[in-house]
Order: sequence, then C-alpha cells, then structure tokens
Amino acid sequence: MRSVFVRHRWEPYLWILPSVLLMLIFVVFPIGIVFRLAFSNISRAGVVGDFVGLKNFQDAVSSPAFPQVMLNTLIWVVSVVGLSTLIGFICAMVLNQPFVGRKVARSIMVFPWAASLVIQASVWNYIIKMEYGNLNNILLNLGFLQDPVNWRVSYQVEFIWECAIGIIVTIPFVTFTVLSGLQSIDAAYYEAATVDGAGFWNKLRHVTLPLVKPSLTVSTVLNIIYVFNSFPIIYTITKGAPANKTDTMVTYLYMLAFYDQRKGPATALSVIGFVILCIASGIYMLVTMRKEDGIL
Amino acid sequence: MIQLPESRTSRIQVTVLVALAMVLTAVLCSLPFLQFSSQIYVKRSPNTFVGDEKYEAAREEVAAKLEEYRAQGIDGAIDEQVIERVNSKNEKTSLVIFTINAANNRNGWAVLTAGLPASGVLITALALGILAWVFTLVSLLKTGGGNTKNAFGIASFVCALASFFLIPVVTLQLNLNLSRSVDLYLAGEEVKGIESLLPALDRFLFGGEAGEQLDTMLGALKYSILPAVMLLLIPAFMTICASVTACRKPLKKTLLRVLLYVSVIGFSLFILYPFFVMFITAFRSNAETTDMHFLHILPTEWRFSNLGDTLDRGVLRYLINSLLIAGGATGIAMLCGIPAAYAMARMNFRGRKIYLGFVIMSQMFSPVVLLVGISRLMNTLHMNDTLMGLMFINAAFNQAFAIWLLRGTFVSISSEMEQAACIDGCSVLGAMIRILLPMAAPGIVTTLIFVFINAWNEYTVSTVLISTTTNRPITVGITQFSSFNMIEWQYLFAAALLATIPVVILFMLIEKHLAAGLTAGGVKG
Repeated sequence: MRSVFVRHRWEPYLWILPSVLLMLIFVVFPIGIVFRLAFSNISRAGVVGDFVGLKNFQDAVSSPAFPQVMLNTLIWVVSVVGLSTLIGFICAMVLNQPFVGRKVARSIMVFPWAASLVIQASVWNYIIKMEYGNLNNILLNLGFLQDPVNWRVSYQVEFIWECAIGIIVTIPFVTFTVLSGLQSIDAAYYEAATVDGAGFWNKLRHVTLPLVKPSLTVSTVLNIIYVFNSFPIIYTITKGAPANKTDTMVTYLYMLAFYDQRKGPATALSVIGFVILCIASGIYMLVTMRKEDGIL
Repeated sequence: MIQLPESRTSRIQVTVLVALAMVLTAVLCSLPFLQFSSQIYVKRSPNTFVGDEKYEAAREEVAAKLEEYRAQGIDGAIDEQVIERVNSKNEKTSLVIFTINAANNRNGWAVLTAGLPASGVLITALALGILAWVFTLVSLLKTGGGNTKNAFGIASFVCALASFFLIPVVTLQLNLNLSRSVDLYLAGEEVKGIESLLPALDRFLFGGEAGEQLDTMLGALKYSILPAVMLLLIPAFMTICASVTACRKPLKKTLLRVLLYVSVIGFSLFILYPFFVMFITAFRSNAETTDMHFLHILPTEWRFSNLGDTLDRGVLRYLINSLLIAGGATGIAMLCGIPAAYAMARMNFRGRKIYLGFVIMSQMFSPVVLLVGISRLMNTLHMNDTLMGLMFINAAFNQAFAIWLLRGTFVSISSEMEQAACIDGCSVLGAMIRILLPMAAPGIVTTLIFVFINAWNEYTVSTVLISTTTNRPITVGITQFSSFNMIEWQYLFAAALLATIPVVILFMLIEKHLAAGLTAGGVKG
C-alpha cells in the first residue's frame, strides 16, 4: 500500500533530507565539537591544542565543588521529578472528574507550562524577598505574621525554594500527559470493577494505574531529561551562589565555560551529562519503540 | 438497628450540622479575636546587675505597681530587659529596664460593636450565616430532605458561600485598620477615613480613655490577631454542607464535592499566585515595589504607563526580535518537518527504523549541555550574535518534536484519498498539499504553536550567542532591568507581562491536542 507514494527508491530520502541536514548541522555537529574539545587542551583564549586524554575529566571531577554539584543535581532531579509526578497525577485524577468550571481549571493549569521559566523564576525571586517580597506582604496584611520572615536564610533553604519552584512549573506537564491517558480509559472497566464491588483504592490500583502506566512512563522519562537540563530557575535565583553550593550540573558547566573561561573541564562535564542523558533517552527509546512495534 | 429512610437520615444530618454550626459560632465569637498589649509603666534601673540588691528592690517596686494596677482591674505582665555594656574604663555596666505591659483581649462580640470597618464585614458575614441557617431549615421543612432543588435551598447555599469568603476579609480589615492605617497616620501620611477611625480605635482598644495621648499609645501598641477569627471558617463550612445536603445530595457526596471544589479553587489560586504578583507589581510605582511600608496588597495607584515606559526602553525591540526568532524557527522547523513526517507516515524505506531512533534520541538533546559546541559552531558559520543563528538552533532542537507530532497526525488520517489522487495522476507532492495538509490542519497548528512557544521562551542559548543589546530576545532582554545594584521590578514585570500573555493564550488553544500527541505520538491502531 505504501508503495503508491514511492516512485523511485531514492524518493523517501529526498523527503527526509532537509530535516536530516538541519539536525546534522545544528545538533550532531555541536555534539562532535563538544567531544573533541573534551579530550583536547584548550587555552583560556579558546585555542584548541593537542589531544590530552582524560585530563579535562580529571580536572572537572577533582574540583572541590564537584561532589556538591553532583549531589545537588541528584536531589534536584529526584525531588522535582518525584513530587511533580505525584502531585501531577493527583491533579489529573481531579481534572478527570466532571465538575462545573473544569475547563477554567484546565486553562489555569496551563499557565506554568506556557510561561517562560526565566520570567517565572524572576517572579518567585521577587516573592520570597524578605524586605519587600510579596509573600511577606500578603502574610503581614492578612495578619498571619507580625514581622517579616526571612524566607531565604541559608543556601540550603534557597535550594529548597528552587526545587519547589521546579516542582510547580513541572506539574502541568505531568498533569496533561496523565490526563490524556486517563481520558482514553474505557468507562466500561470502571463499571465492571464497580459490579465486582471494588472501592476507590482497588479501582486505582487495578484499573487506573495499569492503564495510565504508558503515559506515566513517557512523562517521567521526558521529565527526567527536562529537569536535568533545566537552567533558568537556578541561574535566576541564586546563580549557584554561594561558591557553587546551589549549582546543578548544568548551571555549573555554564559558569565554568562562560564565566571562568575553563572550557576544557566544562566540555568534559558536558560529555558526562551527555552520557547520563543518553542512558535516559535509551530507556525512553526502548519504551516508545516497543509500543511502536506492537502497532505497526 | 433500624434502617432510616434516606430523606430522614439527611434531615437529621442537616439539623445536627446547623445546630453545631450555631453553637460553634457562638463559642468562637466569645473567644478572643485580638490580643494587644500596651506599655503602662516603665522603670529604668541603671548600674544594676541581675540578682544584686538594687535589682531585687526595683523588682519589688514594679511588682507592687502591678498589684496596684490589678486592684484597678487592669491585668498585665512584667517584662524585663537587661542591657550590658563595657565602658571606656573597661568596666562592665548594666541597665535593667522593667516594663509593665497591660495585656488585653477583644473577643468577637467586641469587634462586632466596635464601629470599625472590620465590624461591618463581620456583621455582614454573621447576618449571611444566620440567613443561611434559616433558609436551610425552611427548605428542609418544605422538601422534607428530599432530592429536590428549591429557591430556599439555593438562597441558603449562596448565603453560606458568601459568608465563608467574608471571613478572611475580616482579618484583612482588622489588620489594615490596626497596623497599616495607623502606621501611615503616625508617619504623617494622609489616610482616608482616619477621622472616624481614630475615635473608634480609641473606644475599641483603650475604652475611650486615651484621649490626647492616643498617638503615643498607638505608637507603642503591639497586637496579634488570634486564630479564632479564621476558625470561623469551620462553622461556615458546616453551613455550606448543611445547605447542600438539605436540598440535593447525601452528606457524604456533598462533603466529597465540596472538598473537590475547595481543593480545585485552592490549587488554582496557588498556580495563579505568581502571575497575580507579576500583574500587580507591573503597575506599581518604583517606591512601592521595594518598600514594605507602603505595600498594600494592590497598588495604591495603578501606573499603566509602566507598560509604555518598558516598550520605550528597548522592550519593543526585544519583542520584535523574539517574534522574528520564534517565527523563523517555526517556519524552518515546519518546512523541514512536514516532508520528513510525511515520509515517515506514508513511505516505507530502508533505514526508516534508524531514522526514527535518531529522531527520538535527538528529542532528548538539550542545547544547554551542548552550549560550548553550539557557540563554536556559530562562530564558524558566522551566525554568532545574529537572529538567524537562533532561528536555526531553535528549529533544529524542536525538529524532533515537530516530526513526532506531525507524523502522529498524518498516521491518524487514512491515506485512501491521497492514493486515489495519485492514481488519477496527481503528483505525491500535489496530493500532500491539496489533500493531506488541509485535513491535518489541527495537528499542524498544534505543532506550529508548540514550536513557536518553545522558541519564544528559549533563554539559555540566547544568553550565550547574543551580545549586541539590540539583538536580544525578550527573555534575555528583561534581565536588563535587574542589574546588580538596582532592580526595577515594575519594568521587569511589565515586560514579563507583555511576553507572557500571548504565549499563555496560544498554549490554552493547543493544550488538549498537545498532551495526547506527546504521549501517544498520535499512534492509533
């Protein structure tokens, strides 16, 4: 059936050529450059020298900030992905119920997904200022507080804020992917479960969860990748200060490359991040391709 | 056990709920709403060390004074403050200050009759509550707790709801009158309605005895609003449940329903909160954004000119840049993506699987990790610091998603019509343009908007690639208002507002299609 559209053997390749070129030049090429730089000696002025093996990697890993940065990255990814998935799932369950104003609620849910992260991070940055921040303002006005509270007493607290903001902006993505999964579930399953005397929890465990599992897997894996790469929140609120204590890998390598002009260790970190991402994408690809195979 | 008919159960539940709400309201109103203390006596005792003779003597004197006050019916507590210093001769000196703070409470009934703006709100809330009770009972009598809607039921629901939302307003009003208005007045600012407020406060706080000394006494006033006010939300909530149960549904269902609405409204407000802050701050004056003293929840004066000012200060240029970048990126992504998606959906060729794998993998590459590589590449291509460079980068990094979404749409459309057209002599390209694309329009629009928004919101690559001010996109441009030593929040947020409104509206349009497309890739059996 497909052959109707193919008159010459080379024709399909002509159709995909522009997109292949585009991605080759602007995606694959930078990857190559990063790999080459990671194994080369780079002067501060940016001149690329000889092959130096794993020296850049050694430099990157042995820097005093590295363990803290990796720990932060782990906390950041696990807490943001875990909690946003949990809360997003609950939101999707609620939004799947019929109620007056559901459309409005769905539209409101879109806000954090649509608005730019820099902008949202700037707003939260203003909200949690002690001297004039809006959170203190509202709480003082409502009489919950007598004196302004310092919401960012230490870098640990600031990092918790960053994670919380990360969670808030990630929830809509999970909610909408899970919601699309929930809406494709046939109501007959629930009717059958009700006839069998299943309560809310039983239905959740034995009907809902197995059926939304594919959407949940996709959203979780995509989320891991997005959150790992997320840059503007931390960069806007703390810029990794003090002394890289609130940096994740992505902000750290940005600082290394463009503030400290240490391109060598920065590209080495890029490669490490790249490998981590490839593992995550590999899992994602396996999951999606398996689904694809079942249908094609 | 006797099984009661449903209508009777709900009759009992409603009556119990209303009775409980009444009792609880009465109890809560008798509890203190407001606690305040004012200094009525100060004793300074210099050269005194804690525990020595002088200290004990002063302490006894203050205690005697307190007894005196107690005899007059004023209760209070002794506060002591020790200030230790080392003087120029390197000797330790110490000053002990004893103060007697008269502790006072005012309960709900006192607030009701105080004649403050908060009293008006509280009276309204209570009156609405009482109306809600009456209406609930009337509707119960009329229907016998059946499953019928009626005017009284609806009226009671509306009243209960209104009184529920008035309760936080009471706290707000109490607080505004007490702290904000008085602070401003004492600071010499003009305050609206202060002429009637001051005597009311005098009566309410000091029993009308402050008179000439009112300013001093207000200056030393310390107060806190107690949780009893907010606890009034509980009887109000019970009234809402009772009114719904009376004419509509069994209690359990009502409770679940109310819980659903409360959580949805609560969460929506939480989501909207930062956007609300952005909105109101965008219209404040500069002094207002950085000085808590002047901060009301809403701007005292709405400065709509802030929007125009930001546009004049370069934001217009940044918006145009963003529009060009996002538009160009979308165009390139679609021009390359539509043929590729078409080939993926309609043609079978060697290497198709590999290409699919490549597309899915490249979906994962974030430009952030590749920044160094990208900036070098752009140098070689002479596209550093140009809008063109950003267009291509955004197009390339959104290409995978575009192909993925488009392919899903194309697959879901049957290929029969195109096949017929091809057999009739139409070229493949012609068949695609004339038949497939119009049918796939919703999917194409979704993809278009999605790529556009991603490119519009892109920040990281632009910070690295763009160095000329006039080439900045809006996401980078707004950071010019937050320089290291001075942040002009009102301009920052006015520009942010301009950048956010269009994308949020666009996103709302495609949200439904997008979610399904992302997970399923549109693959349908």
